[in-house]
Amino acid sequence: MPLIRKTAAPVVGPSAGDLDSASADARWAAARRLSSPEDVASLSTALERETEPRVREAIFTSLARIGGLQSARALAERIRSDEAALRTGAIDALRSMGPEREEMLAELLADPDSDVRLLACEIARQGQGERAGPLLCDLLLRETEPNVAAAAVEVLTEIGDSRALPALERCGERFAGEPFLSFAISIARDRIGVK
Amino acid sequence: MADPAKTRILVIDDAALVRMYYRDALERAGFEVEEAFNGLEALEKLLAHPAELLIVDVNMPQMDGFTFLKVLRCQDSAVCGTPAIVISTEAGLQDRTAARAAGANFYLVKPVTPETLVAHVQLMSGAPA
Amino acid sequence: MEAQAALTEEEFARLSDFLYRRTGMVFGEAKRYYVQRRIDDRVAATGTGSFGSYFARLRSDLNGEVEQFINAFTVNETYFYREDHQLSCLTSDILPERIRKRRRSEAVRIWSVPCSTGEEPYSLAMWLLEQWPEVDTYDVEIIGSDIDTKALQTAQAGVYGKRALMRLSPDLVARYFERLDDERWQILPDLRGSVRFEPANLVDAQDTRAFGQFDVIFCRNVLIYFDDTSRRLAAENLYENLAPGGFICLGHTESMSRISPLFEVRRFADAIVYQRPMEGSRG
Repeated sequence: MPLIRKTAAPVVGPSAGDLDSASADARWAAARRLSSPEDVASLSTALERETEPRVREAIFTSLARIGGLQSARALAERIRSDEAALRTGAIDALRSMGPEREEMLAELLADPDSDVRLLACEIARQGQGERAGPLLCDLLLRETEPNVAAAAVEVLTEIGDSRALPALERCGERFAGEPFLSFAISIARDRIGVK
Repeated sequence: MADPAKTRILVIDDAALVRMYYRDALERAGFEVEEAFNGLEALEKLLAHPAELLIVDVNMPQMDGFTFLKVLRCQDSAVCGTPAIVISTEAGLQDRTAARAAGANFYLVKPVTPETLVAHVQLMSGAPA
Repeated sequence: MEAQAALTEEEFARLSDFLYRRTGMVFGEAKRYYVQRRIDDRVAATGTGSFGSYFARLRSDLNGEVEQFINAFTVNETYFYREDHQLSCLTSDILPERIRKRRRSEAVRIWSVPCSTGEEPYSLAMWLLEQWPEVDTYDVEIIGSDIDTKALQTAQAGVYGKRALMRLSPDLVARYFERLDDERWQILPDLRGSVRFEPANLVDAQDTRAFGQFDVIFCRNVLIYFDDTSRRLAAENLYENLAPGGFICLGHTESMSRISPLFEVRRFADAIVYQRPMEGSRG
């Protein structure tokens, strides 16, 4: 039976590529290859016009890997997109970043756009929650949109501790008429408790 | 064990509390509820075991609600026609239009009361009120 | 070892929700007893002292705590013909689709990564020889890779104990193994020679790119445990290592729904697998 052992294997993919190429493969290769801080600007620009999902994903990954606040901001811009896949992809990439993520979290939770604040709550899940927990509690104290508050409560249910209880209680009082939010807050309060 | 007499609803949302909230409301109204974390898990579950109705969130990791619906509508006949209610935070006309284009049958805006949810589900599943 | 206080309803719910989100595995009431025991073990092992601090550690995945926790709920032993439903799927559905428009001169390439001590790639070879009607028509190249070079050396040597052979019929053992003594069997030279073992780091594109494109990749029980950055990179590398239309199989409890948006889901009779889209399906 011809089970064989080959000693050489074909190398995959284009050897050079360009973020502007007509070929999705070439753009994908380029997005994967670009990995230094100098590349953030061109990756960011490419992201604004890229429509191929896997190239977008590769740009997200590269931006997240490069790190730094400029990358984080480029990713955060995409949260404002009309396209759900872009929004959630950007959030996923932001979540994988390091300390700049927490700085972005603070900014985004204070964004005038409620959709941005809502999506930004997801970023708070990562890490130990030392800064994220208090940021979410602050949001609960001043938030006017019940959907945003609900998103914060959902995340606090996972990452929160007893320090979150006062903010949860105050939020519950402010939004007493909101059925889902009241439900979520009561679950959060039960689960966080005192350990 | 699944009850063949009950209408089977798949709730697709990455938020555990939302899934819990919908589950409570739908089970009390006599429906059978399954859950999925995002569009991709929903597809995996549906390919193994079709549902009669889908409740679909929009913002979910790995596969959002609109992408899910577009992929669903391309699957084979056992699942591609499954009715879907999209429940989203977006209130604009643009999003309703996008939802219909993706293959949603109905579009509700969060937050949704248990009564509203159940009423729409009953309407779409043809179950008695 | 002193047991911790029993998990409250709320603690159990919090833990279950987190694990479902993170891994896709469902820990319902039926598993509660086992979850309690695992928590007790891990709290003691990590010296965290309470559910609250353990949960924080689990969430941050310190020192791979998610994998440590989940280990108790998955079968960790490697043995031949493990997850044979995927092997069935390979010959019933995956390979027929892959060879549909293929010239006979074009080899079928399969990658087992991570392959650990080699049971999986050797199982693939045996299964194809035993079960694939086209096995004499096409050249098949099987590569086993792991980041652990010692495991690869063991794989290369091809010596296994009784437990590894437990799913194989005496007939199969007789056909493909030489008995060295009561405790050890060695894969026959022809079969050993037909699988190539090469180290690979899934997260390193420079590394993985050299392997070329495969028809099928078996990548079981690693991706789900990677951190966010690593899983993104590994998923992209694996995509690049698949031919358009090529298939990737994950572990029994894993799902791409927690890993990557790059692959399409396909359901066959014996397994759910994932596929790199065919070229030309999008711009």
